[in-house]
Amino acid sequence: MKCDGFEAVIDDLAKSVIMDAAVRDQALLHVASCQRCALRLADERELTAGLRALAVASAAEAPARIEASLLGAFREQQAALRTPLTSRRATHRWLYVAAGVAALVAIVMLISLTISRTRDSGQQQKPEQAIVTPTAPAQHQEPAPGLTKPPAPPEQKPSVNAPAAGAVSRRAKKTGATRGAELSNDATTEAEIVTDFFPLMNRGAGQLDSGQVVRVELPRSALMSFGLPMNMDRADERIKADVIVGNDGLARAIRFVR
Amino acid sequence: MTLPTTPSDSDLLRQMMSGDEDAFTQLYRRRQGGVYRFALQMSGSQTLAEDVTQEVFIVLMRDGRRYDPDRGSLSAYLYGIARNHVLRKLEQDRPYVPFIDRSADAEEITPLAMIAEGDPLTELTRGETLQELRDLILSMPPRYREVVALCDLHEMSYVEAAAVIGCAVGTVRSRLHRARVLLLEKLRAARDRNEGSQEVKPARCFA
Repeated sequence: MKCDGFEAVIDDLAKSVIMDAAVRDQALLHVASCQRCALRLADERELTAGLRALAVASAAEAPARIEASLLGAFREQQAALRTPLTSRRATHRWLYVAAGVAALVAIVMLISLTISRTRDSGQQQKPEQAIVTPTAPAQHQEPAPGLTKPPAPPEQKPSVNAPAAGAVSRRAKKTGATRGAELSNDATTEAEIVTDFFPLMNRGAGQLDSGQVVRVELPRSALMSFGLPMNMDRADERIKADVIVGNDGLARAIRFVR
Repeated sequence: MTLPTTPSDSDLLRQMMSGDEDAFTQLYRRRQGGVYRFALQMSGSQTLAEDVTQEVFIVLMRDGRRYDPDRGSLSAYLYGIARNHVLRKLEQDRPYVPFIDRSADAEEITPLAMIAEGDPLTELTRGETLQELRDLILSMPPRYREVVALCDLHEMSYVEAAAVIGCAVGTVRSRLHRARVLLLEKLRAARDRNEGSQEVKPARCFA
């Protein structure tokens, strides 16, 4: 073993810690032949002894007041930990109660809303049926005053009448077979301006048990055939109209829509 | 018949974290001495050592659940906390001139008369006191001071010291070797001053 190798193990050798026996023997053999390393080892052993003595002598401990202070802190911490837990549980309990109450209120509101909608739809189906399946013969056999009297031109002064009068003034812009059922639903429809219905044939309304309202497009010149004024500048444009078609396939009345 | 068993540090910590005050007291009394002495040996200040001891156990109360037994013993964990606090306080106090109050620790010095005849310490303590050795340790840089305190004064293994410091075992070995060389040089210089003897220059060995 050389001096460098000895330096690497001198601490363990001086402190007499457990080490490889072969390395220890080689180190001691080197010490026997090297005066400098022998002195180094002696110094190291001296230092080790001094440090051990110092460790033994340093038997100081923290003062008792530190323990008392820490115990106080420990108790405070435990108390603080218990308090939030209790309040947290109470908070959770109130949250559950509040959630239950809210759910109950929501259910009651849902039920009442459903009931009111059912009533509303029951009330609104009557005018709808009056339009789609008119039961008043006068509306079709003899045109109502609103029908006989030429209404204001749709492009200038549209008339706005109540649905109960047999003519719907503001209607949904709908297509398809369900249009008739949805016509009366003002809340969900887009506003349209319509004329009154003009009868298309002199048939008794009693023959019209039921029918459909069909949205069609006509040449604007059709306005003139019903005695309505027409802007000649827009003669080439088309105009929308609702036609009541009976179950026999015959058109019974027409109104113009803008 | 069952023998009474001493609860381990981990058991005490577990009980302590569940609110057992007795477990905390037992753990504190078991570990406070080492923590306090380490802080004292690192700082040389009783006040700082007391503060650090208090902070170490407050941290244990607060973050005890963060202790991982797989990473080392609870003792090493506590020493690690103490080390961090001591180094932080030393860093804060660095602008000030360190003052070592010898009179305060005078009662801790082992008189030479108390050392048995034939003990190796007699060689070291001829004209020296343990207080000088303590002062010499304090005069070293903290990175050397801590390995001497842990490995030599607290007799920790290199592995435990590495866990406390948070470095490799080889780093602990090399730092300790360097620290001991530094200590010996300082001791030799102090001895020469006291005895007025000639300085012995070590010769290079080519054996």
